[in-house]
Amino acid sequence: MISLLQVLILGLLLGGVYALMASGLTLLFGVMRIVNLAHAALILVAAYITLLLFDRFGLDPILSALVTMPVMFGLGVGLYLLLFPRIEGSHRYVEMTVLLTFGVALIVEGLLAFIFTGIFRQARPGYVMDAFRFPIGDSQLFVPTGQLYAMAVSLTLLAGLWVFLQLTRTGRAIRATTQNRAAAQIVGINVRRISALAFGVGLALAGASGSLVSFIFPFFPSKHWQWIALMLALIVLGGMGSIKGAVLGALILAVAAAFVSDTFGATWSPIAFYLALFLILLVRPQGFFGAKMRL
Amino acid sequence: MSDLPIVENPVEAETVPEEPQPASGRTARRVAVIVILTLVLLFPLIARSVFPSYNYVMQLGIVLLMWIAMSSSWNIIGGFAGYISLGHAVFYAIGGYVSGMILIHWGLSPFLTAPLAGLAAVAFGVVAGLITLRTRGPAFIISTIALLFLTLLFLDNWEFVGGTDGVNLPLASFPVEWLKAPFYYAMALGAIGSVYLSHRVAHSKFGLGLRAISQDETKAEVAGINTRAYKVTAFALSAFFIGSVGAIWGYTLTYLRPVAFLAIAIAARMVLMAIIGGRGTVAGPVVGAVLIFAVDEFAVRQFGETSLNIVVVGVLLLVVLLFFPLGVVGSLRNSGRLPAFLDWD
Amino acid sequence: MALLEVKEVVAGYGAGPDILTGVSVTIEEGTSYCIVGPNGAGKSTLLRAIAGILEPRSGEIVFQGSKVNGLRPDQMLAAGVCFVPQDPSLFPTMTVRENLAMGAYLVPDRQLIRQRLDLVFEAFPALADRQSQNAGTLSGGEQQMVALGRSLMIEPKVLMIDEPSLGLAPMVADLIFERIRGFGALGITVVLVEQNAVKGLESSDWGIVLDLGSKEFEGPADGILADPRIRELYLGKQLARKEHLL
Repeated sequence: MISLLQVLILGLLLGGVYALMASGLTLLFGVMRIVNLAHAALILVAAYITLLLFDRFGLDPILSALVTMPVMFGLGVGLYLLLFPRIEGSHRYVEMTVLLTFGVALIVEGLLAFIFTGIFRQARPGYVMDAFRFPIGDSQLFVPTGQLYAMAVSLTLLAGLWVFLQLTRTGRAIRATTQNRAAAQIVGINVRRISALAFGVGLALAGASGSLVSFIFPFFPSKHWQWIALMLALIVLGGMGSIKGAVLGALILAVAAAFVSDTFGATWSPIAFYLALFLILLVRPQGFFGAKMRL
Repeated sequence: MSDLPIVENPVEAETVPEEPQPASGRTARRVAVIVILTLVLLFPLIARSVFPSYNYVMQLGIVLLMWIAMSSSWNIIGGFAGYISLGHAVFYAIGGYVSGMILIHWGLSPFLTAPLAGLAAVAFGVVAGLITLRTRGPAFIISTIALLFLTLLFLDNWEFVGGTDGVNLPLASFPVEWLKAPFYYAMALGAIGSVYLSHRVAHSKFGLGLRAISQDETKAEVAGINTRAYKVTAFALSAFFIGSVGAIWGYTLTYLRPVAFLAIAIAARMVLMAIIGGRGTVAGPVVGAVLIFAVDEFAVRQFGETSLNIVVVGVLLLVVLLFFPLGVVGSLRNSGRLPAFLDWD
Repeated sequence: MALLEVKEVVAGYGAGPDILTGVSVTIEEGTSYCIVGPNGAGKSTLLRAIAGILEPRSGEIVFQGSKVNGLRPDQMLAAGVCFVPQDPSLFPTMTVRENLAMGAYLVPDRQLIRQRLDLVFEAFPALADRQSQNAGTLSGGEQQMVALGRSLMIEPKVLMIDEPSLGLAPMVADLIFERIRGFGALGITVVLVEQNAVKGLESSDWGIVLDLGSKEFEGPADGILADPRIRELYLGKQLARKEHLL
């Protein structure tokens, strides 16, 4: 019983961070129909920035989100304007976005490997090794402090995202563009500007994710392929483009992965994601929560 | 499976009447093909007398021919049918592992079992295709990425094939001075075979169907094409030579290790080559393979063996997609400047 | 000075052929217009070109004396030219009220937005009852009402409506046309495109006949309806069918 509860807790903690990682990815797809294969690679960029700030200046990884978010926002706006207006209206637009961002992922990975080499890195602030322990009977539940903080920050940011999308004028414009691009244009939304902004917001979320990930997982430049595969699995589960779905998908899959890991060993844990992805694509190509996946 | 009427040998299905071509163009192409084939076949002899670093040059030849085989094969599903798979490295791994394990357990040379490895890849392709091809567009791409990682996970955890560490293969027992030649010719066979297959597909009714699917799948369906059977067939067909060269490649490496076959960079490379050269054309993947190979070599020479070469490849991909989305061959053809010796369709 | 002038506009989609082959139209303030013509005549394309959704290949569009071709749709809307496309183009998972409010996206004054919302609910009482329902769950007629209501939120000078009666039951269509006729009183110049030529012309002052991408004829709407020659050439089948049904 206790051990099941323990596994559930660990799964939920990770799920909270996966949710933040995937929220940006699903936002980009929702608003602009961009499948950003470079998303995890850009999360890595933020993770390396966080690591540098921590190693050089001792800046706390969580606080460095204040740096990585604006930096990635700017990078996102620039990247959008550089790449995507050119392919608007092209035949097989969504596939084009996959290939373009694939190229971006290669470039980012190569640069990271060149600068930081391929070795494993991890930011190690004091709280990484700590845990809250709750004795129950003979055994105890433990909650790793770092992951708890990461989960808390992640949920706060997701709540902030929700408020931004629901209550601000720009947020409403982003939602409108997600729901019907043509209609958004008709009511006077400059969809290209909103798309660039949304791309920036999506990457700012990637920036914050990178700061959190920097002390949760060891990482190296080609690590992002594993992450993007997981993130794609969970946004497909949640219905591509739906942020609510991405959060639910993240929590469900992270818990499932934690149980797989507990039963079959840690090396098997990603199988939960891939099998879920295949199962969903087979049964309901539109995902579980989202509306129709528009291709 | 039952709803899938297997297209018997689709390549041999009724061929499409060829457009009349100027005789001079056809001659130029014939000459070009004969010259290229001769060069490929005589390359080991030429290399021996010209380059001091014979083994190194031969290794380059082996690698280039392997990539030609892979990108040409990928082009059947990715180019003709327009279904972009980022998971084709799976077939490469299956080929390598099937032949490698046979070599270890029964001592049969991969040179003999490579076609078998190819068939194993085809069989796997049928099954994987039946699942992944239920989706279209980006969902298909995502499912092929998942396929790759799922396979990687299994190989990493399968003790019989050595898990993450893999297994070592016995060395080939050829005279040292000609050690590379058999590998070279085996890869050449793979490359020539896959280009020939691609050519046959391009000129068949089957190939026409694939192009229709790539243009507008719904219309193709309405026109009476069994799109599912076509797609699965193309997917499986594209696996054959990739599996075969995977078998040979494992033998040259003298070991099997999951990451040596299943890196997404490997899957990526076939895609890049085909796109840069020109998706959906016969010559495109070959041109792309040569180009990327040259850029790679150049990058390695310039910057040393660094990760900057994948940056160069990434930049190249962006430039081609944004400015020449049809690739080298496609763009040249569209502007009517494709030299006859590159017009293999 | 004319409110809106379209001069020799040529336009088409992507690399495709010209759909508009040099069309010239003049829109005067306070007159309501109906553009009719056979399928493929370029009626919708003309509206899209004026709205800034499709950039003309050549020619000029002049609004209130200044050249506006090349402006983005949001800039055209800000200038006072509003477009209601064929499919109502709503935001399906936003409520009716939110959809209407989105129509005033370019209006910064919240007070004003609230006032205009009240006006819209007055004009379409059916919508008032469904304010908090998601737009995606409405019937076709109600969706068309939301689309029209949404266009009122910006108080445009020119309102271009593409096929408002498409797919609607005759009674609902009648109601929609009645409302559109009322827009003139609000100081809005209506430009209508209608397949249902009779209904469209009956609701308008001036008719413009488009065929093969250019203007074939224009004149008072009742005159066009009465002219047997035009009826036969351009509206023939439709009117015949219409009369048959009647």
